Amino acid sequence: MADAKPLIQVKNLDLYFGAFHALRNVSVDFHAGELVGLVGDNGAGKTTLIRVLCGIHTPTGGEVYFDGERVRAFHPKLAIDQGIETIQQSVGLCDNLSIARNFYLGREPVKRILGIPFLDFAKMRGEAKKVIRAFGLRDNVSVDDEVERLSGGERQSVKIGRAVEFKNRVVIMDEPTNHLSVREREHVNELAVQLRDQGLLVIYITHDIFQVHKLADRIVIMENGEKIEDASTDSMTADELEEVIRQGGRQVEKMEA
Amino acid sequence: MIGVALMLIAFSVIDFSGWWTVRTISNVVHFSSILALIAMGQALVIVSKEIDLSVGSVYGLTGIAFITFEQSLGVPGAMLAALGIAATCGLVQGIAVVWGGLPSMIVTLGGLFTFRGIIYVWTGGSVRNFSEEARAHWLTRAFGGEFLGFEVVLFWMLLMLVILSAMLKLTRFGNHLLATGGAADSAESRGVRIDRVKIVTFMICSLMAGFAGIVTLADRPQTHVTIGDLLELEAIAAAVIGGCLLSGGRGSLLGAVLGAFIVTSFRYELIALGAPSSWFITFVGVVLIVAVIFNQKLARWAGHNV
Repeated sequence: MADAKPLIQVKNLDLYFGAFHALRNVSVDFHAGELVGLVGDNGAGKTTLIRVLCGIHTPTGGEVYFDGERVRAFHPKLAIDQGIETIQQSVGLCDNLSIARNFYLGREPVKRILGIPFLDFAKMRGEAKKVIRAFGLRDNVSVDDEVERLSGGERQSVKIGRAVEFKNRVVIMDEPTNHLSVREREHVNELAVQLRDQGLLVIYITHDIFQVHKLADRIVIMENGEKIEDASTDSMTADELEEVIRQGGRQVEKMEA
Repeated sequence: MIGVALMLIAFSVIDFSGWWTVRTISNVVHFSSILALIAMGQALVIVSKEIDLSVGSVYGLTGIAFITFEQSLGVPGAMLAALGIAATCGLVQGIAVVWGGLPSMIVTLGGLFTFRGIIYVWTGGSVRNFSEEARAHWLTRAFGGEFLGFEVVLFWMLLMLVILSAMLKLTRFGNHLLATGGAADSAESRGVRIDRVKIVTFMICSLMAGFAGIVTLADRPQTHVTIGDLLELEAIAAAVIGGCLLSGGRGSLLGAVLGAFIVTSFRYELIALGAPSSWFITFVGVVLIVAVIFNQKLARWAGHNV
């Protein structure tokens, strides 16, 4: 896998928010058909890194390549068009819209009536309904209900269902099992593995090194905006990786030496 | 919407208790329709979680441009040029808000003064008039005449209500607009170009205000420098009374139209009651506050976060 061309290549990425140095010279490769666990403490830069990949933040310095092409403009729309689906923690659903409208937000199907493109509500409701049922939403939740009425777990299910439905080449999951019950959590983890087996790149962000170690092919650890470890799960046990996180950046010198 | 309906019934009961004449009804319909055109544009901007204070000035500027350009461009050319000015006002303010990252209240407050200032400079305070043949032009009649016994502006307003409501509820742009107002971050993360959505919304709002100005002057083609003063506040009041939440993402254009009717009929109500017309603004203020309390209670009762 190491010699295959990476699907996403991040080179010497730097990102400042004002004076705050959020990402420090991060370089990492992601390959298609790989499930990568991105781990680190709060504020380590995990979410910031994937927010660059999904187009929300524009990096201050460094380069990002997608499928060998240098990415020059960063916008979520461009990332989605390239096939990067992201399940984010805090954003992604509009409370004031129905589940069906949220489901297709940004890629609404249209039906032309007298040449005017109107939303194709039949399709939006039908597909959204199929997916939310498959993801175990209560029967009394309708696709016409506003997202506002959903519980945390249900919101997460809608987001995950949406990303899986529109899966393309990359699925990024930021703490996907937050707010979920044990069974739902297992379901999400199975999905991540399935997507990987279908040849997608899956980037899985979590605090829980033990959970992700069981799923992932490779673990990337971040600390203070830096990458401090990048190892296959075959070569290091979860305990060893946890030790790296505990020791923080000290491991870096050893790696580079 | 329920709140508006209730309020409308309450006012209608008061309204239709004897002071009404055909003349006042015709006046109320006329001015409600003009205000409703502006309020609908305002409602869209409020749905996008912004506000447009400049609509009164854009209304005046567009109307004056329409009258002034008529001499050189003829009626159709003047109408297009005037609407072009309105669209430009919206475009410039939209760009300042989105790319400048400025609060729309400040930008459009600047717009309010700037466009009003242009009116003063341009007209030098003078009154402008349409020529006789321009008044008789078919296009002038199409916007300022009468149809089926009603002033034609009523039909234009209803047409715009249908078009804009369909746009808001049934199209991709409408879905993006609602999403932008409801949760801009989430909308953007799903690939919605919230910057474009907001700019287009500001342009629609200015175009509606400009259209209202043209319709007004097609009916009574005589300008004065204060034309449209305070209209922005009436339009915001109408939109809010009609159920638009300033927190964005929720609003109804039909509500804005009914709100415009309430605000306008109030004016005539007060005149009919013999109250000095200067009380009108005070009453609009009171109704506005009552309406906001009402809307909030209703929204909470319906289980929304506001």
